[in-house]
Amino acid sequence: MTPRLRNRLIIGAAAALALTAGIGVAVFDRTPPDATALLALSLPDASGQAQQLAQWRGKVLVVNFWATWCAPCREEMPDFIRAQTEYGGKGLQVVGIAVDNADKVQQFAHELGLNYPALIGGYGAMDLSKGLGNTLVALPFTLILDRQGKVAYTHLGQVKADKFRDIIVKLL
Amino acid sequence: MDFQPTCSGSPPKPRRRLIEAGPWLLALGAVLAFAMPALAQVTPLPPDKAFRFSARAVDAQTVEARFTIADGYYLYRDKIHFALDPASGGALSTPALPAGKIKQDEFFGRVETYRGSMTVNLAVKNFSPGKTLVIRAESQGCADVGICYPPTTQTATVALPAGSVVPATDEAPKKTWFN
Repeated sequence: MTPRLRNRLIIGAAAALALTAGIGVAVFDRTPPDATALLALSLPDASGQAQQLAQWRGKVLVVNFWATWCAPCREEMPDFIRAQTEYGGKGLQVVGIAVDNADKVQQFAHELGLNYPALIGGYGAMDLSKGLGNTLVALPFTLILDRQGKVAYTHLGQVKADKFRDIIVKLL
Repeated sequence: MDFQPTCSGSPPKPRRRLIEAGPWLLALGAVLAFAMPALAQVTPLPPDKAFRFSARAVDAQTVEARFTIADGYYLYRDKIHFALDPASGGALSTPALPAGKIKQDEFFGRVETYRGSMTVNLAVKNFSPGKTLVIRAESQGCADVGICYPPTTQTATVALPAGSVVPATDEAPKKTWFN
């Protein structure tokens, strides 16, 4: 083996190692947040009735933090309505947590024909979402929990409808 | 008449070239593998970096308040409010905010937004000259990438001069929620 070839092999081996490590970092660097505190919550719905999040254990649970003052949140809500209609019977439950007051939420839910619970979280819900991975404390923020109550997906910003559907279908 | 291809010198050796380039291609791949997550996911700014509030004294009764808005972000005109910290004493007159960019929003109808920067003069009433003012600015805005921030309060400290203009020092933005 010539020294030149040996050097090339060493560079190649080092690069292959770095490539493997790089992909590893890219894929495994996110530890999913713990949803225990979320599932232990009880929040009022728009009509004032307390709702325990634990009632939806065993379902694929989509938790969407939103507000009536947040245009991107309002834009994506028809996708959640469609998903609830289409997959509700197969074990999907969408739940909205509004960073807002009950009056505004009730009016908006009525206008939009919301077919899933809209819980009232107030501004305290922003801190709750921060603990669930919403480090920027912005909206919309969405989590998808699998049937075991583990966080399978978190996303800040609008969820792309086709990607959202793929994730749900895999988890159902 | 048939012509046979003629050739002078050695033919190219693609396989050998690939083998020689292999380590460098791998190295490039490794760099990309590290860089891709950062490239693919541009992290939006926190609200106090996206919307920087500052204030300076213009004269003994006037403070200039300014929002410097990062590229790709905007503030809603009707969500901007200024107040003096109660500990400062005195009061601010309700300022006439400059006209914003008018947008017909699908959900909110006609809205006015600011991009780039927004500056407004605030008149200070019933305040003793020479003391320090703490201005509280409430604002709410969004990023073009499709996220919105909750209402945020930031503060800036201004020393009002007896007469001439004095530069003010900005405090670190402090975030609170409206309720």
